[in-house]
Order: sequence, then structure tokens, then C-alpha cells
Amino acid sequence: MLFGQRLRALAGWIATLAVAAAFVVALAAFFELLSHPGEERTQILRGYEWFTSGDLRVAFDLRWDPLSALMALVVTGVSSLIHLYSIGYMEHDERRETFFSWLNLFVASMLVLVLAQNFLVMFLGWEGVGLCSYLLVGFWFNRRLLVVNPLGRLVEGEPDDTREVWAPPAAKKAFLANRIGDVGFLLAMFLIFATTGSLDFDVVFGEAGALAAGTATAIALLLFLACTGKSAQFPLYVWLPDAMAGPTPVSALIHAATMVTAGVFLVARTHTIFEASGTAQTVVLLVGAGTALLAALIAIGQDDIKKILAYSTVSQLGYMFIGVALGPIGYAAGMLHLVTHAFFKAQLFLGAGSVMHGNDDDTDIKHFGGLRSAMPITFWTTMAAWAAIVGVPFTSGFYSKDQVLAAAFEHGGIGLLAWAIGVFTAGLTAFYMSRYVFLTFFGERRWPEGRHPHESPPVMTVPLIVLAVLALVAGFALTTFTGEGGRFQAFLEPVLGAPEEHESLAAAAGLSAAATGLAAVGAIVAWLLYVRPFDWLALRRRWAGAWRPLAEKLYVDQVYEFFTVNLGGALAAFLARNVDQRGIDGAVNGVAELVGSSARSGRRLQSGLVRSYALGVLGGAVLIVAFLVFRP
Amino acid sequence: MTSSEQAELIVFIILAPLAVVTALGMVLTRNAVYSALLLVVNFFCLAGFYVLLEAQFVAAVQVIVYAGAIMVLFLFVLMLLGIGNEVVVKEQMRGQRPAAVLLALGLLVAIVGALAAGVFDAEPASLAAANEGGNVEAIGRILFTRYTFAFETAGILLVVAAVGALVLGKRQP
Amino acid sequence: MHPLAQATTQPLPLPEVDWRAIAPELALAVAGVVLLLVVAFWPRAGRGVLAGLTLAGLAAAAALTVWNWDLERVAFEGAVSLDGITRYARAVLLAVGALATLMVAQGDSREGEPDDSPPEVFPLLLFALLGMVLLAAASDLLVVFIALEILSLSLYVMAGETRRLAAQEAAMKYFLLGAFSSAFLLYGIALCYGATGSTNLLEIADATGDPTADGTLLLAGVGLLAVGFLFKVSAVPFHMWTPDVYQGTPTPVAAFMAAATKVAGFAVFLRVFAGALGGLVVSWRPVIAGAAVLTMLVGAALAVVQTDLKRMLAYSSISHAGYLLVGVAAAATVPAGVSASMFYLLTYAFMVMGAFMVVQYVSRLGPPDDDAIGERSSLEDYRGLARRHPWAAGLLAVFMLALTGIPPLSGFWAKYYVFLAGIEAGLTWLVVVAVISSVISAFFYLRVLVVAYLQEPVGDPGAETAPGRTPALGVALGLAGLLTVAIGLAPEALIAAARSAERILG
Repeated sequence: MLFGQRLRALAGWIATLAVAAAFVVALAAFFELLSHPGEERTQILRGYEWFTSGDLRVAFDLRWDPLSALMALVVTGVSSLIHLYSIGYMEHDERRETFFSWLNLFVASMLVLVLAQNFLVMFLGWEGVGLCSYLLVGFWFNRRLLVVNPLGRLVEGEPDDTREVWAPPAAKKAFLANRIGDVGFLLAMFLIFATTGSLDFDVVFGEAGALAAGTATAIALLLFLACTGKSAQFPLYVWLPDAMAGPTPVSALIHAATMVTAGVFLVARTHTIFEASGTAQTVVLLVGAGTALLAALIAIGQDDIKKILAYSTVSQLGYMFIGVALGPIGYAAGMLHLVTHAFFKAQLFLGAGSVMHGNDDDTDIKHFGGLRSAMPITFWTTMAAWAAIVGVPFTSGFYSKDQVLAAAFEHGGIGLLAWAIGVFTAGLTAFYMSRYVFLTFFGERRWPEGRHPHESPPVMTVPLIVLAVLALVAGFALTTFTGEGGRFQAFLEPVLGAPEEHESLAAAAGLSAAATGLAAVGAIVAWLLYVRPFDWLALRRRWAGAWRPLAEKLYVDQVYEFFTVNLGGALAAFLARNVDQRGIDGAVNGVAELVGSSARSGRRLQSGLVRSYALGVLGGAVLIVAFLVFRP
Repeated sequence: MTSSEQAELIVFIILAPLAVVTALGMVLTRNAVYSALLLVVNFFCLAGFYVLLEAQFVAAVQVIVYAGAIMVLFLFVLMLLGIGNEVVVKEQMRGQRPAAVLLALGLLVAIVGALAAGVFDAEPASLAAANEGGNVEAIGRILFTRYTFAFETAGILLVVAAVGALVLGKRQP
Repeated sequence: MHPLAQATTQPLPLPEVDWRAIAPELALAVAGVVLLLVVAFWPRAGRGVLAGLTLAGLAAAAALTVWNWDLERVAFEGAVSLDGITRYARAVLLAVGALATLMVAQGDSREGEPDDSPPEVFPLLLFALLGMVLLAAASDLLVVFIALEILSLSLYVMAGETRRLAAQEAAMKYFLLGAFSSAFLLYGIALCYGATGSTNLLEIADATGDPTADGTLLLAGVGLLAVGFLFKVSAVPFHMWTPDVYQGTPTPVAAFMAAATKVAGFAVFLRVFAGALGGLVVSWRPVIAGAAVLTMLVGAALAVVQTDLKRMLAYSSISHAGYLLVGVAAAATVPAGVSASMFYLLTYAFMVMGAFMVVQYVSRLGPPDDDAIGERSSLEDYRGLARRHPWAAGLLAVFMLALTGIPPLSGFWAKYYVFLAGIEAGLTWLVVVAVISSVISAFFYLRVLVVAYLQEPVGDPGAETAPGRTPALGVALGLAGLLTVAIGLAPEALIAAARSAERILG
């Protein structure tokens, strides 16, 4: 801010270069790591000592092992691209230097989170990313953003959409959900310290096997509560779709590629604790599978492009949790899905941002159609990411999703249920993602008169192209098609452990065929409904009754709202009325009134309140003394 | 029961109800001057109790300082400022008064309960040993030996009180 | 032998005066008296001179505190104890006093406008501090009571130091309720004396060890002592005065009350309950734990609905008292409870002082309000503060995040240690409540930041009056911010110092 306007213009480039430099450093460190044999690939950087007292030693130690290296690479790599994209996207925003400084702070916090060597440092990063997310969701705090009517043109004469200020409530929601999760993290941390006497990963994981089953379950479930908040899983997922009120690069970076995967990372990082508790693993598995299905269903009914992608993210995160809940056979698969998802979902969000950028910030899918020719680069890159998320063979999403499902099948037992849900959800995913691209890029033009959709500038399209290429080839590059995990799994094995047995090639091929076939069915149905021959608007009107629950997000938000707004509001009103007698807003006015009267009468002060306060003191005294005297 | 114990009992039976009645009257009367006068009577009753407890010095101080100096000063102020009986503060909250009475009774029950458990069946003690050589002398000794520190700090308390009165008084127009 | 009987044996043994033991207190008393004389005989002495003299007194006391650092003894026949709690509380209180002096020196003054607060506020500040350090050192219930009255009387007068009606009302309320609670405390002392035959904490501690004695009378006394202390630290249900008083009094005084009274109050709380009455822990722990639960939850819940920053800080201080009570509840059985609480007091004192300093800074930005009831501290006044006064907003962010307990700021370590002590003492359920409460509390602290950083300023920024030069306040703000960050980054030395406070001499 010191250098004024010139620096403001450069803020974006400076921020981008900083992150890119971090990426280069991470890359160099990564190759250095590869030069060591597998077992020696865990380096601990003993950092600045926060303090030591007695047997508690808390230091700013960092850990560089295959898992954190992978996360660091994804975080810095995707961040560099998104920073670059933001230079174009935020070009006209007057507070862009603030935007970039918060975005950089986010990347720093995220790196602290993934590189931590003890729970405290990780918590520091965990809180940091939450704070940045909160600030960035609320970034456009006074802008009227488009709110797409959830029911669309169901009722004649009803407007399609309205513009409202919705960033502040969205930020609040994100904050509340994350704080509930943070309770879990804090309590887990205290419990870990109370039982193992340390917060250092090596010490804690070394003792994890010896924990009592109940303690391990409690710790694991508390940690998972933190995950459900940060990674938007049932029941705390509701904040993520609303967080779309933030600028689109934020949605791509924080709410798709990096921060929301912190929960998955946490489970992988603390896998020894989860392995000590079968119950916790089952809970993670069921929540992951259930969330995947629920969010996919809701995604079908959305008309807002960013909300479709948001629910899609929630659903895909569910897949990742299925993977990491399965034990050693699933860890690598879950992490692989995390990586590929970071690429294709970042691309999808940035592509959506590009569409909005070229269409006057419209987010309503009903207003697009036929953008294929107007925005060719956006179109083709989005199709690449579409191919990946749908699971077209040999794209990245195909490999990762396939491995998660294969691992679930192999795990057997409750894993089979997760597998079945996963395969069905794959079909749903293909359907809603196809619906998204078909309604946006295919079919007839539905945008209003006077709008001239245009392609975005190179600074935005270059990241799109890079991410699209990654979305296509990352899976192939990171793994081999033997279905044996290949190089990727071998890379992570020193941290996450090796699976006991590998599934057979034949079974893997059969499983892939099932998921891919169902996905193809989903895509074809979407084509028939949304391109030709059916008229989707007519169908929607006719089947309004069936459509409504989907469009209304299966009413989950309404239920939450009832409990939080109504009951919370009633409680607040009750407190204000009966406990704090000065009231909320009445505080100052109350003084004014009573002082007004006391000023007139000269010396009489407000004694009524003092009396009731004294009554409170007396009441408390009676309670305490009576308790102490008459206690049995 | 010796005759001196009988005398003690008689005095107590006279003073105790009087103390309670004057205390209640002081709180309940709406006239500030009556209230102050009832307090003076109450102080005299307390002084009587102190005498019964063989604490003659405290009894004397009670009469001289409280009933004599402080209350007289207080009455002066009341009469000079002409505060009559018009001070009636409106009740702010319904149920305040009954709640206060109930809670006060509750505290009474709790404390009497505690006293009943610890005191009533204890062997009565006398101050005879402590008062050997005179009550006033004993107090003087202990005040300047064991309680020197508390005694000296009380001086600071008085300084603060004086400064406070000065600051608050000076500010009035 | 009965103390009175002891005293009558001839001849009069003159008491040994241990000057060194109370040297810091003497320095404060002397400085206070000197300032009174200066105010009386040199009425035109500027606030700068008075503040300088006050700071000199504080520095002398601080030097003497350092001189006495390794002294561990009971002085004046058990009236005062020099131990870890005493020296730690002395150090924190003197630092808080210095910051408060700077705030008071700044006052409400603007360019070309006389300050409303009388010069006597400086000696009163010193006397209040004297009462507080005495309270922290007192090991006789009589001294406890006198020290408590010294600090209370000073604070009553300081609360009403300006002509603002809100300040007058606050002073009156604080006085009435404070006197009421003092009566409980005094009755408690009387019952303790009746039950144990002594007001000395060491002797009371011995008496609680006697299994044959019937403890009911003592327990009633303990309950009444608890009422008196809980009122001073503003724990629920004895908290109702706090928001009204903090909101009404001048901001420097409110800051001083919030920080210093808590330090002194909890120091004596720890000494009496964890020290002398440690033997009765099974009896009183449910009381303290219950009060802690109520205090944490009510404080946090009511802070959420406030729209005035001073009032919000008052409720916040209530909820912090709740966390500290967790430390007190743990302290009797777990020595770490004592050190955790003392460390908490240290960090909390600077955080809350800092927050009030920002309030003072912002309240001076608005137009001078002749008819105003209190000072400007509505949340509305903080809209867009980051844009207009980035430094003030940045410091506000530091203090709010520290109060929330976000690492790596000092507040995080404070909570962490107290919670660990709670778990160690087997009070896990209480810690769960504390964590929940601290999560609720994040909501209102961060809301302040949202208002300061994310909302547009209202009105015309040009209409702001020049606040005048603010060297004193600027220095105080910088110090408080620096301490809050530095303690967070390097808490080790201070925690180690707190650990030496674990042994209570009684």
C-alpha cells in the first residue's frame, strides 16, 4: 500500500510470482526427496522452538515426507495457476490488492497445515485457512450477487432470479460450520495429549496402536468431526454451496482444490489412529458414501453453475473419504482422487468463472446455451475436465475413481455397500455434469438480447489449458493401468503403509466396466433430455412435483434453518429480554433514558436495576451456602 | 445456673427482640430520620451484646464511634439537606420484593443451619483468659503485635476514603 | 493458645518490621502520597508531569519487585506471604498499572480541549494498585479484606471520575453492589474465624486438616468467601454489574478494572482456595466448577448479542473469568492449575488492555460529544476502520484474535494451559464446556474484525475530528500489541516463571 497505485496494479503479479516461486522450491525439494530410497523419505525440519516445559515440547517442526510433498506440490501448483487466472478475473475490482494478500495468506496457511509435524502447528494452519476462507467468502460483502431461483420458471410470472447481498450470511455459515468442526479438532488434541503426553506426530502415531479402543474411537471421531466441517461432509456440508458467494478463483482454489481436501489429508495423516478404531473407519466410510450420494442428487436439481460444481465437490470429497476410510488398500486411491480432483475441479470452476466473465457475471444455467462457438477455449478445456470427472477411460478421473471403487470392492463387507453407492453415484455424476455442459455450451442460445458473450483474455485461458491437460493426463502419468496402484502407491507407501494384497486384474477390469457403463448411461440420458429430442423446460413443468425436492436441495437447508434461525433467534431474544436487562440495542438508549430522567430529578439514580442485580448476588450466595451446608 | 448467668440471660432476652425490631424498623420505615434513629437504638443493643460477651472495649467503641459520632454526623447531613420522607423509589420489577424476602430467609436458614451444626452443642468459652490484665490492654497489645500490618494498612484505606470523598465532593457544581 | 491470651503475657514483644518484604508496596504508597501532595500544592501541574511521577513510582516498585524476586517467606506474623503468586502478580500488576497510566494520561483529551478527569485519578490509580498487590500477597483474611476495600474504594471513585452521567451511574452501581458483596465476604471471614479460631491462612489450612472438627460452619464461611471473590472477578451470577460499569466508566478505568482487578482477584482466589482451603477441595470444587460453567456460557452467549464494543468486552471478560475458574478448580489438586491460571492472567491482562486502548483511540475520533451519555463505543463506529486507520485496525485484529485464542497469539497458550490443567485434574467435562464456550466466543470477536475490515465506513470520513496527538496512547498500544504477539511466539520463559508460582505459602 506504500507504493500506491503502481504497486496496486502489480499486486497480482507479485502474489503470483511468490506462489510460483514456492512451487518451484517445492518441486526442487520433491526431486531431492526422490533421490533417497523409499524408507528414508521422511525428513523432519526441527524448526523454531515455541517452548519446552517439562515433557511437553512444542516446536515449529515441519515434516517433508511423500504425503506432505504431494500436498505441497498440489497446493502450490494449482495456486500458481489460479493466482495467474485471478489477475484477469479480478482486473476491475478495486480491492484486488487486498484480495491477493488474503489469497497469499491462504496459501501460506495451507502449507503450514500440510507440512506440520505436530498437531499444534497443524491446528495453526487449520485455523489460518479457515480464517482466510471466511474472509474471502465475504469478500464481496456489499455486492449484490445473482441468486438463482431454486425452482426456476415453474410458476409463471415469477422472476428467474434476483440480486441480493448474500456474501455476509454465507461467510457466517461457513464460519459456524467450521467452528463446530474446530471443537472436534481441539478436543481431539487435548485427548491425544492427555493419553500420549505429546502432540508430535511421530510420538503420537507410535503410540496409536497401544491406545484403548474407546479412546482411539473418540479421538478418531473427534478428528473426523473436524473433517466434516472443513471438508464439507454430512452433516456440516451446507456451508460449501453458500460459500460460492466468494469470487470464483476462491471457489476454485479454496473450495474445490485445496482447503476442502484438508479433511481427507488429515485422515490420511493420522491414519494410524483411524486404523486403531474400526468403528471410526466405518463411520468415515458411511458418511463419505452417504455424502457422495446426497450431494450428487442435489446437484442434479441446481440451476446455478457454481452451485452445481459446489455440490459436485461435496460429492467427490465423499469419494475421497471412502478411499481413506478403507485402510491401506484405499489410502493411495483416495489421495490420487484428491490430486486429480484438484486439477479437474479447479478447471471446472475456472471455466465457470470464464463463462461468468464473458456473460456479465450471470450464473444461471438457463441463460446460456450454445456458448460453444463464442468461447471455444473455455468450451474445449471444460470438456476435458468433464471427461475426467465423468470418468471417460484413460482420463485422470477414470483412474482415481476406479481405484477408490476397486479398493472399496476389495475391502468387502461394508465396503461393498460403499462400492454400490459409489457406482450409482458415478452414474449420477455423469448425468449432472453432462447436464451442466450441455445446457451451457450446446443447444440453442438462450441468453438475453444485448449480451455479447466473449472469450476471456489469455491470462485466464492459459491456466484453463494447463489444468485441462493435467485433468486428461494426470491419472495416466501418476499411475499405471495395471490396477496395482503402480508408481503413485509405491511413492506413498513409506507413509501410508502397503496393502496386504492386490486385487486381480480381471476383477478390476470388470469393476471399471460397471462404473464406466453406468456413467455412459448417465451422460446419454442427459444428452436426450437436455439437447435433443426432449424439451427439458416442458418436462420440468410437467414433473414439477418430482423436481421440486431436488431443486430445494432435499430441504436439508430448511431443516437447519429452522433449528438455527428459529430456535437460535428465540434463545437470543430470550437472553436479551430476561438476562441482560439492558437489552441488546437498548444498551445505550437505556442509559440515555434513565439518565435523562435522573438528570431532571437531580440526584435519583437508576436503583431498580441495582436492586435486581443485588438480588442476583443474594440468590447466588444462597445457592452456594445452602449447597455447602446441606450437602449430604 | 449462677446468678450472673441468670442476669446475662435476662439482659439478652430484653435486648435481642429489641435489636431485631429496630433493625426491621430501620429498613422498613420510609422516613430517613426515623430510620437513622432506629439504627442508633440498634447500635446500643449491639453494644449491650458486646458487654455480655465480655468485650467491653468494642462495646464502648460501638457507642462512642458509631452511635455517637457517625450516626450524629449522618443525622446532621440528613437534616441539613432537608431530606424528608419523599424518597420513594419505584419498584422496577414485579416480584422483586417477595423474591428478596424469600432469598433472605433462605440465607438465614442456611447460615443458622451451619451455626447449629458447629456452635450450639459446643462447650461455651469465656474471654476471661484473654482479658487477663484488662480488655483494653489486651486489644492494644494484639493490635500492635500480631495485627500490626492489618492495622497499618487500614490507615491507607482511610487515606483513600478521604481522597475519594474529596474528589467526588469537589466535582459537584 | 488463644492469640488474645498470648498477647497478654508480659512484656510487650515489639513486632519485627520486615521492610524488605513489603518494599514494592511501600514504594507505591509513598508515590501515591507524593502525588497527592503534588496535586494539592501544585494545582497547575500538567497531566504529563503527574503521569511521569506515577510511572516513576511504578518503576521504583518494579525495581524493588525484581530485587525481591528470590525472596520466599512469610512476613509480619503471617500477614503477608512472599511466594510465586505474590511476585508474579506484582510484576503483572505493575505492568498493567503502567499501561493504565498511559491511557489515563491520554484521557479524553483532544486538541485544545481540557480533560474532564480530575488530577487525583493518578494517586488513586496508585492506591488501587497498592490494594491489588496487597491482595495478592495477603495471607491473613483481615489483610485480604482491607486490601480488597482499598482497591474497591479507589475504583469506585475512579469509575466516577468524569462528569459523564454514565460514569456517575456506573460508579454508583459498582459501589452499591461492591459494598453488598463485601458484606458477604466479611461474614465469611467471621465464620471462618469462628470455625478455626484464626484469620491466618496458614492456621486455617492446619485447621482444615483436623478430621474431628465439624466442618459445616467453616464450609458456610467458605461459601461466603467464594461469593465475595466471585463478585470481584465478575463470575456469574455475580456478574450483572460488569457490563453496565465497563460501559459507563471512562475507557482507561474500564481497562484497568478489567485487567488488574482480575489479576488481583484470582491471585487471592488461588491463595485462599487452592492454598489454605485445599483440604476442602472436594466440598468447594463443585461450587467453583458450577460457577465456571455458568460464567463461561452466559458470558459468551450474551456477548454475542451486544452491539457496543465496551459492553461486549465486559461480557468477554466475564467468559474469561470462567476459563480462569477452570484453572482455580483444578489448582487445588494439580499444581499446574496455579501456574496455568497465573499465565492466563498475564496474557489476558495485556489482550484486554489492548482492546480497550483501541476503544479509547476510536472514541476520540468522533465529534466531541458534550451531551453524550458515555463514550462512543458502538460497533457502528468501527465500520471500515481498516480503511481509515489501518494501524488501529491491525492492532484490534491482534487483540481480538488473541482473545479468541487463535494460535500463535498469547491467548491460545493461556487457554491451552488452563485446559490441560483441567484435564489433568480430571475435570474433562468442564474443559469440554470451556472449548464449546471458546468456540461461541470466536463469533463475536471475529464479528468486530468483519465490521472493521469488511464494511464500508458510514458517513463522511472528513467529518472526523482530529484526535490530537496521541503519544501516550500510541506507546501503550504498541506495547500491548507487542506483548500479545511476543508472548504468543515465545511463551516459554513466562510459563517457566509461572511454574515457579506453583508453591503457595498460604
